[in-house]
Amino acid sequence: MSTLSQLTSMTWANFADKPVLETGATVFAFLAATRISRLGGNHPLLNPTLLAIILISLGLEATHIPYEVYLRGADVIHFMLGPAVVLLAVPLFRQRSVIRASARLIAVGLAVGLPVGILSAVGIAWVLGASSQTILSLAPKSVTAGIAVGISEQIGGLQTLTIVLVIMTGVTGAVLGPIIARLARIDDPRVVGLTMGIASHGIGTARALQINEVAGAFSGLGMGLNGVLTAILLPLIFRLL
Amino acid sequence: MLEQIARVLCWLCIGEIAARSGLLPFRAPVTGLMLLYAELAVRGKLPDDLGILADRLLQFLGMLFVPAGVGVIAYLDVLKNEAMPILTAVIGGTAITLFVTMVVVSRLGIAIAKEPGQLEGAAGDVNS
Repeated sequence: MSTLSQLTSMTWANFADKPVLETGATVFAFLAATRISRLGGNHPLLNPTLLAIILISLGLEATHIPYEVYLRGADVIHFMLGPAVVLLAVPLFRQRSVIRASARLIAVGLAVGLPVGILSAVGIAWVLGASSQTILSLAPKSVTAGIAVGISEQIGGLQTLTIVLVIMTGVTGAVLGPIIARLARIDDPRVVGLTMGIASHGIGTARALQINEVAGAFSGLGMGLNGVLTAILLPLIFRLL
Repeated sequence: MLEQIARVLCWLCIGEIAARSGLLPFRAPVTGLMLLYAELAVRGKLPDDLGILADRLLQFLGMLFVPAGVGVIAYLDVLKNEAMPILTAVIGGTAITLFVTMVVVSRLGIAIAKEPGQLEGAAGDVNS
């Protein structure tokens, strides 16, 4: 153990000024997490982001590198989140004919799913006595993580807690979506996909794609539109409160 | 390709200016997303390179959350102390959202979709 930390502090001295180590470790951890997830048949519970977070956390624990130091190094990766969110316009634009053809269906889905998603989580957490910080971090839980972190920060939540809650929500939606659809006897792939995208963003969309292409397309739309609308509405509502 | 990277960064920059000056109450990437969509809608077509750039970057979108997500190690005690409300809110809330949305959309949404009516204008706004 001590030789390991000696070795890392030695290597550390050489790398400290350059973000190579942190960036490399993040890419490597995510790659390993993707492999593990694939070995498990891409089951939603083996979420690559969550696995990579655990791998990096264990690594930081073992090498006694403080999180702030890691984050400074991995900032290159963190920065790319902004451009990636901007690029979410591309899949939305590709589906514009679907949006137009099913505008009313999508509008109803958002009108119901967006407020129910926020209020159900916030309401349950409030009733069960969660702290206000946790409740605020929970509010954007159904929104795709790149947009959710911004909302969380704006309304006074914790970005980092929001990311974990968003992933947990995605995993839950991906697992429960098809089960609830069966229980409610709903087999229209448009309805199932759209709902899974609104309730559980990208992780739900990945699961909806396994149902079929239509479900996947509607899920992607649900995710994108719910993300943009929540980013517009939630901070405005909080400003009025 | 460089042109498309410049395009994305340009909309992101405008979003950043709008956010910092208090002009718009949204985070820079959200404004950037809307501006890029608006630009594509005006052009009417997607440049090939932009499509490739989006596919490549969004393919590993999940990796981009890792650095910020690792920060949760500082809040493990919050997760532990509030495990019950958090898990109930996440699992219960998501189950309620899925059930209510699916049922309402399949009853009301499809009925409305079949019957052309007043909702058309309101629904159209979602696109813009």
